[in-house]
Amino acid sequence: MTQKAVKYRSQMRIYVDIMRAIQRDENHAKPTRILYSANLSHDRLVKHLDELKTLGVIEEIVERDDRFYKLTQKGIEFLNQFIAVDRFASAFGFAI
Amino acid sequence: MELVAFIIALAIAYQALKGYRLTKQRTLWYIHVSFAALSAGLLVNSFLGFLGIIAHTLRSIVALSLIGYMIYFLAQLVAYGLLIYAYVSHTRTLNMTSSTAMLASLFGFVTLQARPIRLFGPLVEYHPIPEIVLLLLVMYIAIQTGLNYSATKDRNALLVFLAFLLLALSHLFFILEPFSELFFVIGHILQLLGYISLLTMLLRVTTTR
Repeated sequence: MTQKAVKYRSQMRIYVDIMRAIQRDENHAKPTRILYSANLSHDRLVKHLDELKTLGVIEEIVERDDRFYKLTQKGIEFLNQFIAVDRFASAFGFAI
Repeated sequence: MELVAFIIALAIAYQALKGYRLTKQRTLWYIHVSFAALSAGLLVNSFLGFLGIIAHTLRSIVALSLIGYMIYFLAQLVAYGLLIYAYVSHTRTLNMTSSTAMLASLFGFVTLQARPIRLFGPLVEYHPIPEIVLLLLVMYIAIQTGLNYSATKDRNALLVFLAFLLLALSHLFFILEPFSELFFVIGHILQLLGYISLLTMLLRVTTTR
């Protein structure tokens, strides 16, 4: 029987994927877009968005009946720092 | 040369610490401790070497350089051992190569008992066994970083691979010291080039957006 290698994303990686999805959408992303980009189920996305809002790295904007998410200044700074750390670790062959 | 290498190793240790604080990733902690140990060893070795020069007496020059070298050797043993442990725990495979590397690091402590051989007069000492141990350890890291580069084809990975390859070559030249005085100088130049390669990688990852 062959063993299939399953690679789980760390919580940090999921947060960053969500934040990158928001950034890719010109820092104004709908939950559905984030859901597809970050490859998450609806329940998990809602949970993680709440956590990120609590951390103060994203904020929710309600325009008419639509909900959007954008990165805060703290979120942009965190993402830039994370990208540098990710490149640094990858250069040594370690994944975050 | 060693002071420049000390500053670069310290910068790498600092970046790894920053990364660890941000992500709490254990492998980054290992990189931090590893380069912090290397920088401490480089500083002590160059400081004791400098003290030896101003001490004037031949006996103190020899004693201080031997103490400096032994501290630097231990620092390198800890640093490379930790990096190997990081690679082994990251890939979760304890294969033959890694087992050999672990044994080599244990063997390193035994080599501390080995007496250095004096070459080209009393000022250049030859430490063949510690250098062979270090060569084995750095070779393992160079292979791991080389595998990483072959998988990713990333320039930063290439710079890290190049750095450890140059460091491995520097240890090889230190082993070959008895054949020519020039090998001692080449070894130090290669070591510096290795650290410069790491600095280039560091500047690339921290400055590019």
